[in-house]
Amino acid sequence: MTAQMKLGAFLWATGHHIAAWRHPKAHVTAGIDIDHYIQLARTAEAAKFDMIFCEDAAGLREANVEIASQTSRSIGFEPISLLSALAAQTSRIGLVSTASTSYNEPYGLARTFLSLDHLSGGRAGWNLVTSASPIEAANFGATGLKPHADRYERAREFAEVVTGLWRGKASGHDGQSFSVRDPLDLPRSPQGAPVMVQAGASDVGRNLAARTADVVFTAAQTFEEAKAFYDDLKGRMAAYGREPDDIKIMPGVSPVVAETEAEAREKHEELQALIPDDVGVALLSSYLSISDLGRYPIDGPLPELPESEGMKSRQALVVEQSRRDGLSIRQLARHFAGARGHWRIVGTAAQVADELQARFEGGAADGFNVMPAYFPGELDAFATLVVPELQRRGLFRRDYEGRTLRDHLGLKRPA
Amino acid sequence: MDNGATMHLAVSLFAGTADPSPELEFSHLAGLVQKAEAAGLDMVLLADSAPAAGGDTPNQQMPFEATTLLAALATVTSKIGLVAAASTIAHQPYNLARRFASLDIISHGRAGWSATMAQSPREAANFSRPEGFSDADFRRRTEEYIGIVRGLWQGWDADALLFDKSGGRFHNPEKMHTLDHKGEFFSVRGPLNVARSPQDTPVLVLSGLSVSDLDIAVRTADVILLDDEPNEGAKASYDDLKRRILACGREPDAVKVLTNIAPGTAGKLAAFADGLAEKFQSESCDGFNVQLPTQRSALDAFADLVVPELRRLGLFRENYRGTTLRSHLGPAGGGEQ
Ligand SMILES: Cc1cc2nc3c(=O)[nH]c(=O)nc-3n(C[C@H](O)[C@H](O)[C@H](O)COP(=O)(O)O)c2cc1C
Repeated sequence: MTAQMKLGAFLWATGHHIAAWRHPKAHVTAGIDIDHYIQLARTAEAAKFDMIFCEDAAGLREANVEIASQTSRSIGFEPISLLSALAAQTSRIGLVSTASTSYNEPYGLARTFLSLDHLSGGRAGWNLVTSASPIEAANFGATGLKPHADRYERAREFAEVVTGLWRGKASGHDGQSFSVRDPLDLPRSPQGAPVMVQAGASDVGRNLAARTADVVFTAAQTFEEAKAFYDDLKGRMAAYGREPDDIKIMPGVSPVVAETEAEAREKHEELQALIPDDVGVALLSSYLSISDLGRYPIDGPLPELPESEGMKSRQALVVEQSRRDGLSIRQLARHFAGARGHWRIVGTAAQVADELQARFEGGAADGFNVMPAYFPGELDAFATLVVPELQRRGLFRRDYEGRTLRDHLGLKRPA
Repeated sequence: MDNGATMHLAVSLFAGTADPSPELEFSHLAGLVQKAEAAGLDMVLLADSAPAAGGDTPNQQMPFEATTLLAALATVTSKIGLVAAASTIAHQPYNLARRFASLDIISHGRAGWSATMAQSPREAANFSRPEGFSDADFRRRTEEYIGIVRGLWQGWDADALLFDKSGGRFHNPEKMHTLDHKGEFFSVRGPLNVARSPQDTPVLVLSGLSVSDLDIAVRTADVILLDDEPNEGAKASYDDLKRRILACGREPDAVKVLTNIAPGTAGKLAAFADGLAEKFQSESCDGFNVQLPTQRSALDAFADLVVPELRRLGLFRENYRGTTLRSHLGPAGGGEQ
């Protein structure tokens, strides 16, 4: 059998489109409704997704209260408690939560994810992020966002301590950012160790991933970008004594899918029409890590920008897109409000499957993190329209091969 | 005060017992908590294991961390309160406040945070504080920490969420409040990115109190756990606490004082029920936190023999009065939604 693609179901309250919550069919109280999430998890499990994926931020997403109140993103479940609840309500699907190395301590985080792993019978994963938002920083001290390089150096040591604890390392750690005396007080993971996922795509981010990640989540718009990232990251692994297949690279994709192409386009336009301009521009500003984009003419080009201390990779992606397509601020804002810089496909199941197949077989992805525009409708649509099409083509499993997340992903059990 | 009829009952499932029982799977624990719910108990306290004090071998009796366990248990129960221990050293206050606010929504208003005022002798060494804290620093830090957590829990007004699709307003910006805390140990802006708790705030349970902690406890706690002591001592401690609660401007009944107690062997259960009745009737506590080992037989004996006896004596309610933990703790407990 030829290799099959891996699929994550990236859950995010009302949906990934910034205006999703306003869509008539979106479940608007998603952020306070656990039953909604249980339903989504069961849909994804029935469709044999490898995992559910949850993002996280330890703070509001948007500093401006006027803008924030026009989005649904200021409230939601804390993802580790959410996934622990879902662990009891599912039996096969992997459960991956984002958590920051900047605002946690490795002993506590290692212990919490190991507990989720035990609760789920070996289905837990940790998405390591370094937190690029000054809003989060203000919840953890008065000194503001630490420089990019410092955050990554802390992340490297953090990952080393966590993986050591998961492997039952007995002796203490006394390092630059952390000291830990005892081994973990929980038994070893049912899958050897929870799966390590990483999101972050700068040069240091890629090196850290090449060294420690099992799965890499990334954003890429074009085939060329995705392919370049894929080859670059896999190429870095040998330096750390690893095989290319030890990491599954899963770019985000936000499909808007319907029975006919016209219907899919209409659905997409319907969502785009619901984006207020100021919300779109604010979101764009956050990806560019600048605060005052609103003072430039909205129908003019993107101004020259200072280099970011926030999300270097996302800033580069936006700038690249604006140059490539000659887009105005308004056009860029609307574009990024749809999928936050991730790849969008609007079309029929066959069209979506064609595109996914091309990137998968072209060596630009090992799978995809699927980001439905709104919930539950677009997850249902992907599960009922696209998944069967991928299965017919032999590109996706018809049933789980094993019990644990490592089984699904085809990852080695760590020593 | 209570009307005299309602004793509050909690069970603590892994209260430091050196329990050698091997298979502590989730399904086993779920069965225990469902049994406690069928018996109508107010709440289950989930201790959080930590490396055994002073020992070199890790304590491996429990494969779960308490807050993650609480979330999973919340989905397989519907009435009983679920209180998880979480340490002020292991978590940043923003993260802890957020975790419990989320647990409260997951459990539809049945979550509580159990915080100990006593320092664990070994814990700081695993959290990059090899030098630890002096007792005085630890106390001031804990007080500041609890204040932040409670403040964060109140960052969203109960009617802040509008869900107005056509008007484009998800929430009312005037009903979301930053905390802007700048203190000796922490600086936290807020607000939480989790909605307001279904019971206004998760229940706060405090234990491990020394005399100097009492004033913090009476100002902030919903439940206070005290160690068992001989009769006159227990009565004096209880009366002192209730006086302090009144003195800080709260209703004495707003804080439930529970005595930690461990039953002896199964054969003495009738005497155990009588002992509880006597302590309760002498107004030495508002109820009990019964510390049980994780064997099913221990809980069964308590639920099937002791609880019915307490009901026969008219000391324990027949049924849950509501669905939130605060509703079990009594009308003075606040939010009932
Ligand atoms: C695809 C992707 C997803 C991310 N998801 C999160 C997230 O959920 N929470 C978060 O705090 N940061 C997230 N990040 C931010 C990264 O952890 C990191 O802070 C940021 O990307 C800066 O690092 P970089 O320049 O290496 O990309 C994400 C980054 C990428 C590329």
